[in-house]
Amino acid sequence: MARSFKDTLRMFASGFAAVAMSLALVAEAAQAQGHPPARTVVGEEYTPTIWIDPDGCEHWVMDDGFEGYMSPRRTRDGRPVCRRSQICGVIPSDQLFRTDKSDIDENGRNQLDNFFKTANAFGFLIYGHTDARASDEYNMALSDRRANAVADIARAAGVRVVDVKGFGERQPRASGNSPEALQQNRRVEIYCVR
Amino acid sequence: MQMITIAKYVALGGFLSACASIEGGERTGAERSVDAGIDSKSLTQLVAGVWVSPDGCDFWLIDDGFEGYLSDRLTPDGRPVCSGVAPPNTVVGPFREGSDIPDTL
Repeated sequence: MARSFKDTLRMFASGFAAVAMSLALVAEAAQAQGHPPARTVVGEEYTPTIWIDPDGCEHWVMDDGFEGYMSPRRTRDGRPVCRRSQICGVIPSDQLFRTDKSDIDENGRNQLDNFFKTANAFGFLIYGHTDARASDEYNMALSDRRANAVADIARAAGVRVVDVKGFGERQPRASGNSPEALQQNRRVEIYCVR
Repeated sequence: MQMITIAKYVALGGFLSACASIEGGERTGAERSVDAGIDSKSLTQLVAGVWVSPDGCDFWLIDDGFEGYLSDRLTPDGRPVCSGVAPPNTVVGPFREGSDIPDTL
């Protein structure tokens, strides 16, 4: 009795698998044609507006009468959508570093020290970026060292460093491979947290 | 006693329907992008403070009179900003400046 029950289960399972497979095939065929099947959506219109936070980043906001709803507006890869005003300072790397180096000379130190002491911010986010001329891995490490070199000067100036990170060549400011574009992409960006 | 209870419910009902009309409870579609009623304004004018979560990270907190809003403060690559601007479970900044409605909550 127990055996036949097991057999029944097994038969049922294989039957289920076959049905699942045929369903998957149908779905694949529909996708291959490039047209998802038309369907009727039963919903209600909810149109948001945009609120801009003090950092300059956008949020979706809706007021339903009693309730309010809000959430950050993001790009599809998860970054917040922000206005330019968010950046506090951009330092071209060519002004601060020699090629492939991350140490900062006396003149650069003094300029950064002055910037951090007069920026009147609660804290700073410091991000390093490179151009795309070396390997991704090398550029990630180089931009990280450069961001940390700037962060060390911030800490020595007595201000709070909230976040430090190197993004390598992954977030270019300008597109293309012209010398001007490459130069714009070699940079350290400083965001002020107020 | 029963009369008092009924009166209480009637009064409560009256308050709720009054709120619905001043704040615009029956709202649809694009109307939801503005704050109507007594403290009406464009939602773009909301003033935020920073609420620090139990994890120590920053959120924008807005107390708009009737509505409350909470949204993430993010780094440029989408991670939470944990600035240390205040201890966990506290709010700093002008988060109640968006409305003249007194807030006793």
